[in-house]
Amino acid sequence: MYPFTYHRPKTIAEAQQAFSEGMDATFLSGGHTLLPTLKQRLAAPSDLIDVTGIPEMQGIEEAGGFLKIGAATTHDTVFASPIVRRLIPALSGLAGSIGDRHVRHRGTIGGSTANNDPSADYPSAVLGLGATVITDRREMASDDFFVGLYETAREPGEIVTRIDFPVPDIACYAKFRSPASRYSIVAVFVSKTGSAVRVAVTGAGASGVFRLPEFEEALSADFRPEAIAHLTVDPDMLLSDMSATAEYRADLIRVMARRAVEKPGQIQSFK
Amino acid sequence: MEPKPKFKAVGQPLRRKEDERLITGRGQFTDDFSLPGQVYAVMVRSPHPHATILGIDPAPALEMPGVLGVFTGDDLAADNWGQLPHNPVPSTKYDVKLTGRGGTPVYIGEHYLLPRDRVRHVGEAVAMVVAETRQQAQTAAEMVMVDYDPLPWVADTQAAAEPDAPRLWDALPDNVLVDSIFGDIENTDAAFAKAKHVVDMHYHLGRVTGVPLEPRASLGHYDPQTDRYTLYAGSGGAVRQKHEHAAVMGVNPDQVRVISFDVGGNFGTRNRAFVEFGLVMYGSKKLGRPVKFRADRSEAFLTDYQGRDLVVDISLAIDENGKFLALRSKNLSNVGSRCVSLSPLSKGSGLITGSYDIPYATLHSRAVYSNTMSTQAYRSSGRPEVCFAIERLIDKAARQLGYDRVDLRRRNLVSPEQMPYTNAVGSEYDSGEYEKNMDRLLELGDFVGAPARKAEAIKRGKLYGIGFSNYVESSIGSPKERADLIIRPNGVEVIIGTQPAGQGHETSFAQVTADLLGVTFDQVTITLGDTDVVTAGGGTHSGRSMRHASAVISLAVTDMIAKGRAIAAEALNVDGGQVEYEDGVFRTNATNRTIDWFELSRLAASLSPDHAGGLKVRRDNEMHTPVFPNGSAMCEIEIDPETGSLEIMRYTTVDDVGRCINPMIVHGQTHGGIAQGVGQALWEACVIDPETGQPLAAAFTEYGMPRFDNMPSFLCEIAEVLSPTNPLGVKAGGEGGTTPAPAVMISALEDALLEYGPPDVAMPFTPLKIWSEIQKGKAIAATKQQGAA
Repeated sequence: MYPFTYHRPKTIAEAQQAFSEGMDATFLSGGHTLLPTLKQRLAAPSDLIDVTGIPEMQGIEEAGGFLKIGAATTHDTVFASPIVRRLIPALSGLAGSIGDRHVRHRGTIGGSTANNDPSADYPSAVLGLGATVITDRREMASDDFFVGLYETAREPGEIVTRIDFPVPDIACYAKFRSPASRYSIVAVFVSKTGSAVRVAVTGAGASGVFRLPEFEEALSADFRPEAIAHLTVDPDMLLSDMSATAEYRADLIRVMARRAVEKPGQIQSFK
Repeated sequence: MEPKPKFKAVGQPLRRKEDERLITGRGQFTDDFSLPGQVYAVMVRSPHPHATILGIDPAPALEMPGVLGVFTGDDLAADNWGQLPHNPVPSTKYDVKLTGRGGTPVYIGEHYLLPRDRVRHVGEAVAMVVAETRQQAQTAAEMVMVDYDPLPWVADTQAAAEPDAPRLWDALPDNVLVDSIFGDIENTDAAFAKAKHVVDMHYHLGRVTGVPLEPRASLGHYDPQTDRYTLYAGSGGAVRQKHEHAAVMGVNPDQVRVISFDVGGNFGTRNRAFVEFGLVMYGSKKLGRPVKFRADRSEAFLTDYQGRDLVVDISLAIDENGKFLALRSKNLSNVGSRCVSLSPLSKGSGLITGSYDIPYATLHSRAVYSNTMSTQAYRSSGRPEVCFAIERLIDKAARQLGYDRVDLRRRNLVSPEQMPYTNAVGSEYDSGEYEKNMDRLLELGDFVGAPARKAEAIKRGKLYGIGFSNYVESSIGSPKERADLIIRPNGVEVIIGTQPAGQGHETSFAQVTADLLGVTFDQVTITLGDTDVVTAGGGTHSGRSMRHASAVISLAVTDMIAKGRAIAAEALNVDGGQVEYEDGVFRTNATNRTIDWFELSRLAASLSPDHAGGLKVRRDNEMHTPVFPNGSAMCEIEIDPETGSLEIMRYTTVDDVGRCINPMIVHGQTHGGIAQGVGQALWEACVIDPETGQPLAAAFTEYGMPRFDNMPSFLCEIAEVLSPTNPLGVKAGGEGGTTPAPAVMISALEDALLEYGPPDVAMPFTPLKIWSEIQKGKAIAATKQQGAA
């Protein structure tokens, strides 16, 4: 690590101020991407602004038909929350499937969403549920928020403070993990609200998390695994690396989407 | 002849003495040691697989805050620091004799602590920066300007052996450093000429690394008052390290003290000296401060000594009755950029015929240099490679010739009546009941029930495979060991020169000592790992420790009994001949009085000041004769044909370890050994980018480790066929878990994928590769179907 100044603001205003005063400041939440990057000396921010001590960024509540989760809420808190389990059990299950126990007690939903790692689990739920990303200056639909690999519509210094999930009729998640990293090679989040179906894929996209309109249409008409059995995915838009080629990922998307729909309300993890 | 000891502790699954210390954070690993005034070393490492070093400019780094020194190969040369004497050619009487071309000596490239001419692999240290803090040293290391002129490079094993491959060493006409032929060419050729069937195979068992949980570390301190160096560095044997570093420095070994207490995993990776061990001592001498180094995980992936990497071409001649007639094998080992050990090639060379009676064999053994990290003996050095070759070849022969694979093996196994059995390349197997092991395994693993389990899995849409392998391996290792046996009024101490890295020597050696002396397990402590206390010893490798320790302790106990008898006679005021000894107690017919070891120690101190510190015996032993642990393993796997995901459903072994001192420890080691072998078959690989020569697996995100949720609950049974070669009949345990594991896994995989054709890609068989094999098989089937239509 290179030297940096550590800040632990108590309010969003303090966090904003620390950011504006820093030469090259960056926000720290759970740190599961940032800290390894710093340890490998691949980044050298002047200031680290830890947002996990800001009370208004914590907590889970049900309000106005939404499940609202503070951005600095840990994966384990989301996983264990009775509210989340009641409203969107697949989201609870997804949180419980991230990394290991240590990761889940440090990593946060806002950090994962703002970082937009192409292998992270949360972006698929945020996009697959059509959530709204709330920042310190605006609200953004998930369709507008995720832009590309590690890239979101966030402006410099913009802080994700909360994520509001509309409550679906049913949602499900199926993931296939890399044997080495245990990150998802392919994971598919499916939600159904009335006749509207959203299908979001993480782990696989060359530009990060993305939706599958063809699958959504087919499932909107008929929410059964058979409805998507004949569909395929174009490998051109997918990542290719040591643990999975684009062709393999394309086929796994098909399989994981079908398996997700086979078990509505559940999460399934394969390796 | 002393009466036979009564075994009370030996054979019992006693809890390990070291565990309370380790699980309560009181272990003493290298990085746990710190010395006053200590400073930190960071290495500047090569980004190139091969490059000429045109120059190194330390000036910008020297100006950085906290920097105390930047050292290069030129500095070491100016101070006459020499090379690491790895002695890579195995040298016991029973090792096969590897040579260069035409019987010439093996060319060993120079290995200075820092190179002056070229870098030969990515990650090679070219300079050391020492600063007040680790962070300052890291930052300054980025400022050391190294001027490289990149050279053509070669990493692939077969490519490195080509005559026109980029050369690593100017003194060699190509990269081939070993080129030896063994066996009986004439009779092998004759057997092949008359054979009804010949089956052959080509494969590459790839490169893996040991990944010890504790990264390697070193702390060096030079004391000008005494002109002595102290090195804290976990290894596979402190005594060896002491002598090798003394040689590098050109000092008397007595001037070097090496301390290696708790070691967090070794698997062979720590059995050769690392350059950073010598460098911290150099830095300490130059700067007058203790210097500490600790590798981070990426450095460990790049520059820990690595394992395996053998290319084999093998063929087997078989007669009309399924009897093996002769074997030919060409084995090519990749030693990396420097030759630190030829053990993998040598060990494997002696075992090419496996557990089978094959009258004739020829073997062409070669080793090549390449622009990769050096390889070393890694968990079961050389044996999984050759076990894989013979066992996979037999599976292939069975399939091609229409034999049941167990039956074909049964026709050819070496029988107990043939023991000791000299195989076709001269290895003498000491003992073993191979067919009995195999039959017991089939019973234990319910081999006859496997087809029913397969049918049930297929019903659930899975592919199901049943894998099988026999194995025999050799345990040789450094031939010398020393034990100091000390009996004091309050307990027994044994000082010995092995080095556990989790194997539980403090427990199993105490079990042996307790029974041999007729004292209790709790009364014995084992001292290891400080060369000022442990004066000699061969370290821990090649499954040698239990065998060598039990042998030298037995001899020390015999000496101690003789000594005790004399002292008891003096104390009881009788002739030595009148003293009887049994099970820890001396007595005479003259009185009712008895004396045990602890009372004897007390009495001895009062009789002579020589015994003031306890009754002491120092015993050296030299034992060259190898032993041959052996056994059988089977596993059953389930594959999800849609994803290529593989699950191990059952894994069963029968392992003849000779006498088993502590079955709990042996089972634990077998379990770990299985995981390591399975890891190589399914996930682990030190992948190098064929375009750039850069290692691609330098973190846990890329290097697939076996994890507990990948493993079933193992069913392991120990068979004890005592070895006639040593007092307690010990062979070796643990590595037997690893030896057959790649063969048994790929055997199962092939069985599961039979309908898609035999898999022809290299290990590891990740889900991606399994899926790809299934797709390929489907495509071929579809083409055939179209052709038929």
